[in-house]
Amino acid sequence: MLVNLALAIVLLPLSAYFILTVVGDRLPRQGDWLSTGAIFGSFLCALRIFGEMWSSFDPAWVVQKTWAWMDLSTLNVPWKLEMGVRLDNISATMLLMVTLCATLIHLFSTGYMRDHHGKPEDGYRYTSFFSYLSLFTAAMLGLVISDNFFSLFMCWEVMGLCSYLLIGFYRHKPSAANASLKAFMTTRVGDLGLFLGLLAMFAILKSFRFDDVYAGINSGAFSTETIVGVSAAFFIGLGIFIGTVGKSAQFPLQIWLPDAMEGPTPVSALIHAATMVSAGIYLIIRIFPMLEYGGVLPIVAYVGGFTCFFAAILAIKQNDIKKVLAYSTLSQLGYMVLALGVGAYSVGFFHLITHAVFKACLFMASGAVIYAMHHEQDMRHMGGLKKKLPITFACMLITTLAISGVPGFSGFASKDLILGNVMGYAHLHPQHYLLVFFGFATAAMTAFYMFRLIFMTFWGEPHDHHHYDEAHEVSWNMWLPLAILASLSFCVVYTGSITGLGFDKIFGSANEWILKLNPAPMVEGAEGSRLALEEAAHHAHVPTMILSIILAGAGILFSYLVYGSKKISAAKLESLWPRFVQRAIDNLYYFDAFYIKVLIKKIFLPFSDKNAKFDDAVIDRVMVDGWKDATMVGQKASGIFDDMVIDGVMVDGAGGAFPTAIGSSLRHLQNGKVQRYLMVAVVALMLLFLFRGVV
Amino acid sequence: MAGLATYLPAYLIFALLLFSFGLIAALARRSAIGIFMGVELMLNGAALNFVAFQALRKGVIANDSWLHGHIFSLFIIVLAAIEAAVALAIVLRVFGSRQTIDADRADQLRG
Repeated sequence: MLVNLALAIVLLPLSAYFILTVVGDRLPRQGDWLSTGAIFGSFLCALRIFGEMWSSFDPAWVVQKTWAWMDLSTLNVPWKLEMGVRLDNISATMLLMVTLCATLIHLFSTGYMRDHHGKPEDGYRYTSFFSYLSLFTAAMLGLVISDNFFSLFMCWEVMGLCSYLLIGFYRHKPSAANASLKAFMTTRVGDLGLFLGLLAMFAILKSFRFDDVYAGINSGAFSTETIVGVSAAFFIGLGIFIGTVGKSAQFPLQIWLPDAMEGPTPVSALIHAATMVSAGIYLIIRIFPMLEYGGVLPIVAYVGGFTCFFAAILAIKQNDIKKVLAYSTLSQLGYMVLALGVGAYSVGFFHLITHAVFKACLFMASGAVIYAMHHEQDMRHMGGLKKKLPITFACMLITTLAISGVPGFSGFASKDLILGNVMGYAHLHPQHYLLVFFGFATAAMTAFYMFRLIFMTFWGEPHDHHHYDEAHEVSWNMWLPLAILASLSFCVVYTGSITGLGFDKIFGSANEWILKLNPAPMVEGAEGSRLALEEAAHHAHVPTMILSIILAGAGILFSYLVYGSKKISAAKLESLWPRFVQRAIDNLYYFDAFYIKVLIKKIFLPFSDKNAKFDDAVIDRVMVDGWKDATMVGQKASGIFDDMVIDGVMVDGAGGAFPTAIGSSLRHLQNGKVQRYLMVAVVALMLLFLFRGVV
Repeated sequence: MAGLATYLPAYLIFALLLFSFGLIAALARRSAIGIFMGVELMLNGAALNFVAFQALRKGVIANDSWLHGHIFSLFIIVLAAIEAAVALAIVLRVFGSRQTIDADRADQLRG
């Protein structure tokens, strides 16, 4: 029953995609209601599954069904691929989050994309937009209900395709076309790692199922084998983590996500906040025991730490409202990866959920601002909008408070737990104190740059009176999603505590339900370190909480002084940074330059050139032409024979008028139209079948 | 698996439909891409037949080591992939040389 519901969750948006692709243009309103309705149906199913999970309130709750997809087993050799559905606490929570965000984003898009309404013949692509959204959502949901890494990988790739289509939706803009290519190619690098990891996993285990993998880890299947000199568990774990690095835009493959802001804003909310980048985190969560067992976790932690810190620095200097959010997404994803890297499994998942909700709201609110400002995205041209857009402003303020980690909002609870765990981890392993610095510095910077966005956009005097005068509050289908998501950005939803500080819990046993319901899958020998981390995090919790509140408050205050009341000049502040740092930030730490100028121009292109030269010189010149020369000799001899004997004696002798007559009458059959030939062949074949008894 | 024998006609009819639609497309479409897509459909219809009969056999004979149906369908998939590469290359060249991919216009070999 629940398994059927889970399949329905995927099939509803998927069928909406097919219907829209085929007849979407002819439907009333160009079919946007179909897409939105389908995903709303999925949301209802997800709610039902979540209710079932919630009513049992059991960390071990799981419903799964597996069936053979491709069974090539013979008597002695088992070899089969399986498909299946697995519903556990993680996937039930993810399903609810993804369907909720996707439903609201679909609704928001009906307003935001209204300018694209029109006939496809005139170049409007309203229907395509919704069909891509549906396909994308279906792939994400399929990924979440998978019970094995194989179908997860398939959905993962479909999402890659959809992100390409959606980022490049404004395809007449060269920057959008480039951004979509960049996103696709960069994630491909990560997917290669994921693919290698999965191949190795299958080679060893002959199965992709999560349960089999966890059992295989505990039975030691991955420690006896080695691949290229490292243990199989390390190789597989690292490979799969590289997949995450690509998809979740972690250091060093982070370059695509900021460019991906070229897509329409609802797409940014869906792909680059709520779902696709979360898929990478979800993958780490699923493969977590392998990372723990193979010793990949420290790498994971440092990648996450680097990303959250350096992306936050970049966010401070952006002037494009969406770019600020893009870098803050990078930074928050870094937080999640950091949390998982230090071993705080359920905490990382917690932040994934809270972040998805408030970041989807932030992106859509920025979309509402952009829409109201007639597609002006530069914050320097905004200002004073809080009177013009009161609802958008309220929602954006709530979610900004959430992302900044102010008590009472969801981000506070999850970020605070991450920092506590990182602190505890550093207590246990003092050589990793750098991670603590990354975590806390990012907390302060997040509060600073998010409030910079609020102050520059909504406070002060309008800078562009033309746009300002025309700006007005968006219609209901655009502000309602914001309001719903903003109301879910309060702490009480997730922890049962109004402030999040822990002394005012109102739901009794249900408080911090995400943490309670999602313990990490067991790995043999890991109990000790997990308990130690829990203990250390518990001790580090109170000082961490105080410190993070102080840092967030300082960030907000500083932001107010610089951009709100303008007591401190922003230009002067900027000149305090050393020149080389400024230049590095302006050039995004030279990552793009490095990839294009060094990796591609200096390594890949010369390598392909060499290949081409080898092809030309050896394959073509020596082998092909050499073979030609060798055969030429034989040809000469047989040519002479042909000329003298065949031609001279036989053809000219026996041939003549008869073949010429036949030829000129038959040549009309050769009319060069391939389809005619094919038709003749088909008819002949049919006649052959028809008369096969007779002849 | 044994139940598959009951469903076999459904698989065969579906394969037949795929093949027929492909054939109609290959015969009636004017653009080379359309013809090419029709051919792909026909290949898939044929591959589905192979898989269906293999599954039937597997359901009837226990511990069977016969894999020809699967192998053949894998061959068809590979063949289709290669065909896609070659056909698209041809289409591109045809388009490059005469600015159209109408199959009837590419008739220089007529007698």
